[in-house]
Amino acid sequence: MMDKPVIVIGGGVAGIQASLDLADRGLKVHLVEKSPSIGGVMAQLDKTFPTMDCSICILAPKMIECFRHPNITIHTLSQVKEVTGKEGNFDVKVLKEPRSVDASKCTGCGLCSEKCPTKVSDDWQKGLSERKAIYILFPQAVPLIANIDREHCLYFQKGICQVCSKVCPAGAIDYEQQPEEISLNVSSIIVATGFQELNPSELGEYGYGRYKDVITSMEFERLVCASGPTGGHLNRPSDGKHADRIAFVQCVGSRTHKKGYPYCSSVCCMYATKEAVLIKEHDPGSEVTIFYIDLKVFGQGFQQFVDRAKQHWGVEYVRGKPGEIRRNPLTKDLAIWYEDTMTGNVYEKEMDLVVLCTTMIARPGNRELAGVLGLKLDEWGFFKSKDPVRSPIETDVPGVFVCGCCHGPRDIPESVAEASATAACAAEVSRRCAS
Amino acid sequence: MRYALYLGCTIQSEQFGYEASVRETLPRLGIELEDMEGVSCCGFPALSSVSKVGWHYLSARNLAIAEDMGLAVLPLCNGCHLSFIETKHFLEKDPELKNIINMNLEKEGLNYRGDIRIVHLLEALHDEVGTQKISKKVVKPLGGIKLASHPGCHAIRPSDLQKVDDAENPQKLDDLIRALGAETFDYPEKIDCCGSQLAVTSGRVTLRIAGEKLQAVKSYGFDGLVTTCPFCFKMYDGRQRAIKGALKDASLDLPVFYYTQLLGLALGSDPKSLGLQMNQSPVGDLVERILEG
Amino acid sequence: MSSDINEIEVRFISRMLTRLVGEMNATVCEQCGKCSSACPVSKEIEGFNPRQLIAKVALGKIDELLRGDAIWTCTACLKCKERCPEDISPYDVILILRNLAYRAGYSYPAGYDDFIKGVKESGFISKPQAVRIRDDGKISRGDLGLPEVSGPGDLALFKVVIQGIIKAGREI
Repeated sequence: MMDKPVIVIGGGVAGIQASLDLADRGLKVHLVEKSPSIGGVMAQLDKTFPTMDCSICILAPKMIECFRHPNITIHTLSQVKEVTGKEGNFDVKVLKEPRSVDASKCTGCGLCSEKCPTKVSDDWQKGLSERKAIYILFPQAVPLIANIDREHCLYFQKGICQVCSKVCPAGAIDYEQQPEEISLNVSSIIVATGFQELNPSELGEYGYGRYKDVITSMEFERLVCASGPTGGHLNRPSDGKHADRIAFVQCVGSRTHKKGYPYCSSVCCMYATKEAVLIKEHDPGSEVTIFYIDLKVFGQGFQQFVDRAKQHWGVEYVRGKPGEIRRNPLTKDLAIWYEDTMTGNVYEKEMDLVVLCTTMIARPGNRELAGVLGLKLDEWGFFKSKDPVRSPIETDVPGVFVCGCCHGPRDIPESVAEASATAACAAEVSRRCAS
Repeated sequence: MRYALYLGCTIQSEQFGYEASVRETLPRLGIELEDMEGVSCCGFPALSSVSKVGWHYLSARNLAIAEDMGLAVLPLCNGCHLSFIETKHFLEKDPELKNIINMNLEKEGLNYRGDIRIVHLLEALHDEVGTQKISKKVVKPLGGIKLASHPGCHAIRPSDLQKVDDAENPQKLDDLIRALGAETFDYPEKIDCCGSQLAVTSGRVTLRIAGEKLQAVKSYGFDGLVTTCPFCFKMYDGRQRAIKGALKDASLDLPVFYYTQLLGLALGSDPKSLGLQMNQSPVGDLVERILEG
Repeated sequence: MSSDINEIEVRFISRMLTRLVGEMNATVCEQCGKCSSACPVSKEIEGFNPRQLIAKVALGKIDELLRGDAIWTCTACLKCKERCPEDISPYDVILILRNLAYRAGYSYPAGYDDFIKGVKESGFISKPQAVRIRDDGKISRGDLGLPEVSGPGDLALFKVVIQGIIKAGREI
């Protein structure tokens, strides 16, 4: 008797890992992803800590493997809308939004995007540049197929244009595509929907939103990435001037009982160090300072990574959270006020760029998905596992497992390990229910 | 709109130029002001540092008088405003304290209920009258003059109790300045303290704190500074000469105004009715510029 | 129930201090330094540092603080209260310590005596004066057509009530 497939919800690194583990064992996998491509946040990072590997370079082979694997079916622009049944026998309804492009014909040449007249702020580039209404999410997207953002497309909004269909050499544009509902019957469900970044506008003392040169860490990743809006040049957003003096502010919106969340976001100390080293690698003459309260670097090789950043690269670490960030209206330069709590002295320092290391928060979509799956959420909107110590990746619903950041902040090595763990659990369910 | 006008100590005794400008301008915008009888100091900062209970007692006393009048209270001083807000909050949270205060208020025939509405001048002008209405009534626009907005600490903080304006990015006073036809823009020291309360302990440091802000304001090209608090005004205007001495900066001459004084000029009032003769900072030239149009 | 404000005051302050030291706040402080770097006074006076002040409170060094100048050096700008990620507010702690210092009979700036004297005498910290005008001469309320100041109706009664509140062994 054929083993039933498994459904993996979320196409980030955790979802990808789980899918590959299951597929390699001979189980069929439905990988359901909300956006037009798999890859998740890891695809947006420049490098990973502590190895300083190029993020997309180590992720893309896995993404392509998912695409090519005979046992994996990728459903992009799709969401799970309804689930009934129980472990071993879940009936899942997936809603697939129309791409408006025929996947069997599109070659990913990109001509449609080139000729499209409509520009839209590019969320994937964290709003630092623009994309077109018809677009491919990023150069290494899987599947490498264009899709139309109907909310901004002139044809769908006003009935005009249609330039894309005129220039497409493969005739792949299909405006008539409708949303599609797919019914699947699976033995288990793996939730790997990831996280999102806190918007620090509420923390007015940092000036995010008012001062263009105060950015979040994800925005920084895009700035410094070769495939980013500035081609990897660290130019400050306000006037394009090269940023020589950069500050990282830790714990923005985390470890707080006011305007944020009380938990530690787990990865920020490490990624700030990584980003600081990135800057120093590009430009050893730059001044980089990390403002922290504690350095949470207990993973394998992490402490040595920080030590090297201090000793070899000359990254400055100051124990003291800045109380205020100001901008001179005439020069547009930023100034940070901080206390070095080790010495008790208060300083004002000029900066070109300030990176706020903001908290990982739960995706708002978790609420709906939790309702659909019958899962509990914790007080901050993350999925709740069955028990944090004894069964961290099981949930209260037998046959439904969680991995990665969808149940709390954690880094890539942990997410990958958990993904493999959920794959093993799902395989066990499959074996148990088949016999 | 009718308010019980609460003046506090400093405005009545020496900063009555502010009072004059308020009495002259607010009625022109449709705001009726009723004087309060039998009031006293609000207790901040006179008593707050030595007797919290005494402080809340004094504020509650004044709020009780306003409650009896059946009107919302409009305290002109930022400090009095915060004092009232905090007192209302504390007495709500602490019924025992409220009780004891009422037992003593009873001796004067007063009773504090706790349902009083406290309105800051910025709220009255910006939210209740509105910048559009004010603009329409302007007959002498302040064209081209650049004015630095200084809302003052106690108008905007703490944000968990105050809803007057955004604590980190207050814009209401800026909007009101623009409504008069003047220009303003954000500057780094905008929400910095004038340092007044420190004057009780260390006069020299206060002058430095206040002076550094004035110097910064001047360096950005502002023609003047605008505020709504008598403590801030007294520091920046009344003590400007002392500030110049303390900073050894003889050229630090910055005109300082109460918002309602500029409002009055823009509405066409006689400068003498706005107490402008009492401003110690060099406001003469700017006033002339405005009057000439 | 007696209307003894003095007793209530002691209980009120003790309650607030317990809350600040014991239940939640001062001990929750992570010593992050946001308060001290936002504080305008800490930039000017070396001995004043709200973060260190909270550390002392958390460590129980209250008496040292009550006897010192630091607690009287705050300018009440409230930036520390606004920015503290743990809702601690060094300003509120300082206010309580000031109240305690006053009660304990420790030294405090003389200016407060002047304020209190004024309030007792007229209901306000200062009486209406003739004020210098910029060009030359002086001006008083009447010159601007302003009404007479209205203070507490029965000043003697008011004085008695206020005196009762500011007992604490201080003769002013």
